[in-house]
Amino acid sequence: MKVSVLFLLLFSTLLTAQNSENNSPPQKMVLVPGGNFVMGSEIGDPDEKPRHIEFTEAFFIDIYEVSNAEFAEFDSTFKFPKGLENSPAVVNWFMADAYAKSIGKRLPTEKEWEKAARGTDGRMFPWGNSFDETFVAWDHKDERGSAIAKPQSPYGCYDMSGSVWEWTSDWYKPYSGNIIPMEEYGEKYKVMRGGSNFNNFSFMRTSQRYYLLPDKISKYFVGFRCVKDIK
Amino acid sequence: MNFKTILVIVFIFIENIFPQKVNDFPSPEDPLFVRVDKYNKLILGNHWNEGTIMQRVIFPPAGLDKPLIGPQADCLDPTSEMLAAYSHKYFLTKNENDRKIANQIFEGILKLENVTGVPGLVARSFNKTDKPLWHEEVMWYHEWHWSTSLPGYRWLGDLSSDKFVSIFYGVGTYWEFCADDNYKIKAQGLIDRFVSRVIDNNFKLTDLDGKMTLWGNFCPDFPRQALNSLEMLAGLKVAYVMTKKEKFNNAYKLLIEKYKYDDHQILSKIIWPEEWQNKGDDYHAARSLYMLMRYEDDPNLLIKYKMNLNRNWYSWKNYDFSFEDDIWFIMVYQILTGENIINSKYENAIKDMQGFQRTKNTYKIPTGNNFKMVESEEEGIASAMIRNYWFGRHYGLIDASW
Repeated sequence: MKVSVLFLLLFSTLLTAQNSENNSPPQKMVLVPGGNFVMGSEIGDPDEKPRHIEFTEAFFIDIYEVSNAEFAEFDSTFKFPKGLENSPAVVNWFMADAYAKSIGKRLPTEKEWEKAARGTDGRMFPWGNSFDETFVAWDHKDERGSAIAKPQSPYGCYDMSGSVWEWTSDWYKPYSGNIIPMEEYGEKYKVMRGGSNFNNFSFMRTSQRYYLLPDKISKYFVGFRCVKDIK
Repeated sequence: MNFKTILVIVFIFIENIFPQKVNDFPSPEDPLFVRVDKYNKLILGNHWNEGTIMQRVIFPPAGLDKPLIGPQADCLDPTSEMLAAYSHKYFLTKNENDRKIANQIFEGILKLENVTGVPGLVARSFNKTDKPLWHEEVMWYHEWHWSTSLPGYRWLGDLSSDKFVSIFYGVGTYWEFCADDNYKIKAQGLIDRFVSRVIDNNFKLTDLDGKMTLWGNFCPDFPRQALNSLEMLAGLKVAYVMTKKEKFNNAYKLLIEKYKYDDHQILSKIIWPEEWQNKGDDYHAARSLYMLMRYEDDPNLLIKYKMNLNRNWYSWKNYDFSFEDDIWFIMVYQILTGENIINSKYENAIKDMQGFQRTKNTYKIPTGNNFKMVESEEEGIASAMIRNYWFGRHYGLIDASW
């Protein structure tokens, strides 16, 4: 039974991957092939459990977070300090969601975000399992992709660890099989991922989850990147 | 209207502008002991929040007539500094009134635990209030909670690694130099619960929701700043010295023997690139090393801690005393090494320690969906200066006549 399920998963993964290879990504986006990947962690926060296998269809994702200049084109009332045109825009969830929809894209689900950040092999960071401070853009004011070592995720995305947090489309809910109670679960908070400059290194792990009210970002630096479905 | 009536009106007017108790600021030219005494009175009068010390107080109309409004995230720093100051002072004076104030500050820290309702979980700060206060919305993250254990209190969560240091440094200093037998037991209990909770959560500071706090990572399974390795070792050492419980010694050995925290901590001081240097981090290192090196008797470990101290000294010796703790680093270095490094430049810096002036600021106060701008006076804190002074007096680095 288990073997046949695995075979089916493998077959569908191969099929999806084959289909997605025929799609070239739009400008400033990369392809994340469909298929299985390792999601979650056993050594992180209780809400990261269990470490498990998940599946996504193929999708395109932005190489960079949406910049101040890009967001200002969409919203003329959006103000940012001069000289920070190429730094990530810090916005609430509703603003991020509206921007994504306005250009025919959407916010990534948690599954999509985590897969784009860590690939299929369950690595802790986009570049592997060790941490180096030169691998991340430390300040939300830094230009996108300006980390000293400039490591990309397995699919070619920048700044998925550090820089600014990134919104996902999902409400903060437990993973299937997680029975650790948390009163914050439900449809009150949206999940943000990837950490920022104002947290310790472990918050930049690809499996780390954090929750925030969608309309109140307080002092958190939260930005976003978009995904696009493959027709 | 006679002169007396005018005086009364003027007095009432001044009281309404300055409802805080103390307005007597020292002059920069006053002798050091006078400046310390006056700033001490300003802090006890204006910053006292049930034993905890508010780091910055905003006065009416933006604030209240009690010190509940201001940025409260770092309250444990001045609170622990004043606890250390009074502990050093009591050690020197044996004055029971000094000990009484130290006890009250310690009780304030105990209340920071009690207000969370979770043994070992310590709040950043608290307020007795019947409603959320405006600064909660704009001065920190969404981390204020109603207390379930102390009704009528709100408390600020998401404790950080530097507050972990404040607790073991302040409470440890108090236990060592000031607390009587009864309070020693209370201090041991607090440190036992606090550090045990960190160990039980795999060397993480975790919040009410069970998640690691933004800056609470001492965990061997995760990459972490070298400074955090130093802080955790120091916290465990203090906990063991205070409680004599083997679990703290075992955890200390585990982190050293299996995870090499003793090697990792050596590089806690970032020397290059220069723009990454951080005096705040120096302060956490100085407090950690001060507690750790005095209690450690393994010569091999002491060498490694001394290597860390030497890396810090590379920067400390050239600091310009623009930061309130710059001069404390010098004093700590002398105490830990026994080297006689306090020269006339450093001595003058000690004599020249200054506190704060009251300033005026405009605050953006949320009013539902909008904001209003309100101008008010606010006051900083001189707790580090007061701690520096009594630390220096205790160790014979400062003369009472200065």
